[in-house]
Amino acid sequence: MQVMLRSLPSTRAGARPVRPARKMTPCLAASRSIPRATNEQKIDLLKKVECFIFDCDGVIWLGDKVIEGVPETLDMLRSMGKKVFFVTNNSTKSRAGYMSKFQSLGLDVKAEEIYSSSYAAAAYLESINFQKKVYVIGETGILEELDLKGIRHLGGPSDADKRVTLKSGEFMEHDHGVGAVVVGFDRYINYFKIQYATLCIRENPGCLFIATNRDAVTHLTDAQEWAGNGSMVGAIVGSTKREPIVVGKPSDFMLKNISATLGLRPDQICMVGDRLDTDIMFGKNGGLATSLVLSGVTTEEVLNSPDNKVIPDYVLSKLPDLLTVKESAMVAA
Amino acid sequence: MVVSIKKATDQEKLAAFQNYDAWVFDLDGAPWSHYSNSCRVVRHGYFPRATFRPPGASAPGVIANSLISGIARCAGTIWKGSGLVPGAKEFIELLRSYQKKVFFVTNNATKSRVTNATKLTGLGIAATTAEVYTSSFAAAAYLKTTGFRKKAYVVGEKGLVDELSAAGITCVGGPEHVGKEVDWTEPEPQVEIDPEIGAVVVGLDRYINYYKLQYATTCLVNNSSCMFIACNTDSRGHFSSSQEWAGAGTMVAAIIGSSEREPMLLGKPASFILDHLCATHQISRDKCVVVGDRLDTDILWGNQNGVATCCVLTGVTSEAQLLSPENKVQPKLYVDSLGDFLTVKPLLPTSCTIM
Repeated sequence: MQVMLRSLPSTRAGARPVRPARKMTPCLAASRSIPRATNEQKIDLLKKVECFIFDCDGVIWLGDKVIEGVPETLDMLRSMGKKVFFVTNNSTKSRAGYMSKFQSLGLDVKAEEIYSSSYAAAAYLESINFQKKVYVIGETGILEELDLKGIRHLGGPSDADKRVTLKSGEFMEHDHGVGAVVVGFDRYINYFKIQYATLCIRENPGCLFIATNRDAVTHLTDAQEWAGNGSMVGAIVGSTKREPIVVGKPSDFMLKNISATLGLRPDQICMVGDRLDTDIMFGKNGGLATSLVLSGVTTEEVLNSPDNKVIPDYVLSKLPDLLTVKESAMVAA
Repeated sequence: MVVSIKKATDQEKLAAFQNYDAWVFDLDGAPWSHYSNSCRVVRHGYFPRATFRPPGASAPGVIANSLISGIARCAGTIWKGSGLVPGAKEFIELLRSYQKKVFFVTNNATKSRVTNATKLTGLGIAATTAEVYTSSFAAAAYLKTTGFRKKAYVVGEKGLVDELSAAGITCVGGPEHVGKEVDWTEPEPQVEIDPEIGAVVVGLDRYINYYKLQYATTCLVNNSSCMFIACNTDSRGHFSSSQEWAGAGTMVAAIIGSSEREPMLLGKPASFILDHLCATHQISRDKCVVVGDRLDTDILWGNQNGVATCCVLTGVTSEAQLLSPENKVQPKLYVDSLGDFLTVKPLLPTSCTIM
């Protein structure tokens, strides 16, 4: 299973620039051309898969606009008795919080169909029968999900204005009842939170270090890319020299949790996403069927490039392409 | 196989004195490396609880026993308690009287070389600016060697900006970006960067925030030729006398996490400071010795860079830790304290230039 681990900067002797090693494989004779899914393939997909897991950005919506045809596609899947989940690595909102985004886009979803990384953190703690307190670096979403699971917490937005002055003899107290630090995306990250989390992880025996995700980039606006939770998590890795348990993509916790909850085999579940290195890789690592849509960040060129090693089972221009086999599929179902 | 070493005999100390022309002393653990200006027993009711041990420590060492007082927070190579290690000043003067060169190195990027030199002199050890190496100076010196003409975006504090400015580098960020926030209520929030930035330089920053992370990340991601410089990557440091605090490694790792770029490290344990020191003062590596109290930084630094090392036991490392079979970092020699070197004095030929 591929988990994106980052080691600390290498302590290299010598003043040579350190660039990340890029493995370029020799260019093969001709670049391939992976075709879009045929109607037969689409019918086959709809027959064998009982549950669809969707990445949201680039699959269901683009920025603030739902992709045309998506609501009808979801209706079709539901009427065929398929289960659907919407997965997002964004931890700032709880599942209930995301509901309003879906509803404002005209999408009819239930909170239980949304699998946010904020929910994943709480679900993980529940799965290990966690009884202690949690120190949270993150926004309200994580706190709300912890509340729903009855897990006590401290930190979060209430530590946004705390400052460290480091006066003579300054000593930061910390709660020795904290048994886990959960780090999610936090636009109000500061040195106080970093130090508090560090003390918990270093000094509380057995304290867990959990990350909702490690995405380097998050899409908050269309105009530019924004530093993602990879940086908040990086900060705590830097101060503790420990690696976290990642509960969001591309870790397979979410997938295991979903398949266990539904009682389905992995091959009965299809991951639908627009990113090869996260969504499709994530699905493959979990033994799922995988379907790439070209309505998001991945282009046909990138898919077919000799440098790309990640081959999805199916390729669609966009999710609503499944509607072309609606009648045949509904009959077969 | 780990070779166990014994404490340096008088003959070994004499040989070291005669052989090494440049003595590089670790400054970390100096009283002013704390944000407080002096190192005192913590009196106001905060009693440090039993805390973590330094990584690799297998037995309660100096730190665990000295937590209650906080005095040992000032312990290092040259400092013990609220004063100098007995004999340290005299030994350094002895070195100078025999034409040996003396240097002081710290990974702390927050105070300039001038500040460090002034404080050393004030406490009885005469030191010039040129004898002090900070990781902030290393960053500035490195940029100069590349003929850097652009601007530097600084994630760090005033000391770092001071060293870069002293090297003629225009800085953006640093203390000026303390408290700066993205306004998320705007319809299209954004962080615009100065297009002339050619390097992101990162040191300890107690005022780290999302705005700075985003600014630094954007500089590195938008421009692959923008350099990424880390003053140091220490995970922790003694920034107050009672406790260890998250170090510069935090800020550096945060920016690695969002930019997916690796930095160039300039401070210990990279070789740059030793390279610069040897080149500038025409010293050959085999005539150089690093003296410090930390196995995983000072001693490892010297060992990895072809320089002899001497461990002192007045700081964080105890004899038990040093000699433990689990310890993989062996200095060339070790002594209880820097002052122990004074036993060589009567064994030396009379110096030509008596001080």
